[in-house]
Amino acid sequence: MSAKSKAAVQEAPGDVRHQREEFVRSFLHKSAELTEELIRDNQTMEEQLVQLREENEALRAQLASNDVVRELRTIIERLEREQQELLQCSNELALYQRRQADTERELNDLASLYVASFQLSSTLSIGRVVKHMGELMEQLVGAQSFVLYLITADGKRGIPVSAQGRLPAALAPIALEDGPLADASLTGVARIHDPAAPRAPGEPIAVLPLQFGSQVVAMFAVYELLPHKCAWAKVDRELFKLLSVHGATALIAANLYAKEAGPRAALHDVLIHLEAERHKQLLAAEPDSGGEL
Amino acid sequence: MTSYACLVVEDSPMMRQLIVFALSRIKNMTVTEADDGIVGLKKLAQTNFDLIITDINMPIMDGLKLVRKIRSDERHKDVPVIVITTEGSREDRERAMALGASAYITKPIQAPQVIETVKELLKI
Repeated sequence: MSAKSKAAVQEAPGDVRHQREEFVRSFLHKSAELTEELIRDNQTMEEQLVQLREENEALRAQLASNDVVRELRTIIERLEREQQELLQCSNELALYQRRQADTERELNDLASLYVASFQLSSTLSIGRVVKHMGELMEQLVGAQSFVLYLITADGKRGIPVSAQGRLPAALAPIALEDGPLADASLTGVARIHDPAAPRAPGEPIAVLPLQFGSQVVAMFAVYELLPHKCAWAKVDRELFKLLSVHGATALIAANLYAKEAGPRAALHDVLIHLEAERHKQLLAAEPDSGGEL
Repeated sequence: MTSYACLVVEDSPMMRQLIVFALSRIKNMTVTEADDGIVGLKKLAQTNFDLIITDINMPIMDGLKLVRKIRSDERHKDVPVIVITTEGSREDRERAMALGASAYITKPIQAPQVIETVKELLKI
């Protein structure tokens, strides 16, 4: 301050001085207020900062939690995929098991057919042939009561040659005039009824004609199945077909063989018969040849 | 590899053949056949078997007598025995089980049933 202005201050009148002091006091007061306000603002900001930090922490935690959820979702999706794959495998396995069971059943059926065929053609003893046929009925089909009838040459009567189980009537020759046995004998068609279906007393549940060519030579009449066999199996019908053809052939062959002295003796006329058959075939092929070769 | 020897005692050739067929489906199984209990006992005297399958109804010596003989013989008393019965002959089956048979199979026999019973007894 210059000496001139210092002198002016010293020389200022009293109200100016008062105004100046007022101004300074007011200035100081306002400064104090401003400072206090600044301090309050600072505190507020600090509080907000703390709050924001806390929120930030919370958000970070949530984000981390979201990551876990995302990870869990990924795991769930993977597990669901694995579950689907396992279910598919399980279904495929079940299908495979069903197929295997079917194959086993078919194999078992084929074995039954093979054994039946093998046993029927493995002997030329008439007694054994009849026994094998009975066993086939009992062991493979599961029949409990049955009769095997031979048909007489005129086709009018059935003579019982073998029987098993509880029969509806005493064993005796039967007249083939009417009824299921006569029908089967005449037509050569097997009659197979549902075992559970009601039927007339004494009526067989199955009549199986054994035929060679067009002639019925014998017949099985089945009256009862084993108690635990409630229905015919698929293989039973195949066994019946086999028995129908092979049984008849086996019976005829065994009966013819009974007259022979042995297996070689039984073949002594083979060449003659072969020649005769050839001759017959040629005659049939050339009807205008007049029988000359 | 473990091998198994089985004795099949059955008078019916048809049944025997079916049982042998079923057993042939089991790996390393050798089968000896006998058509009667007496023949079966003779085979038992000659060889050790891991399993015996016998029919109950047989001429000369039936399956029940055979089971009794097997169980009274120190050599074979622990060998599993399967008896083959018909569904109707419940008494025979119960007697066979009481005499020491290990299991039974009812006629008409099914190969899967035979295989399953044999595998169960031999713990295959």
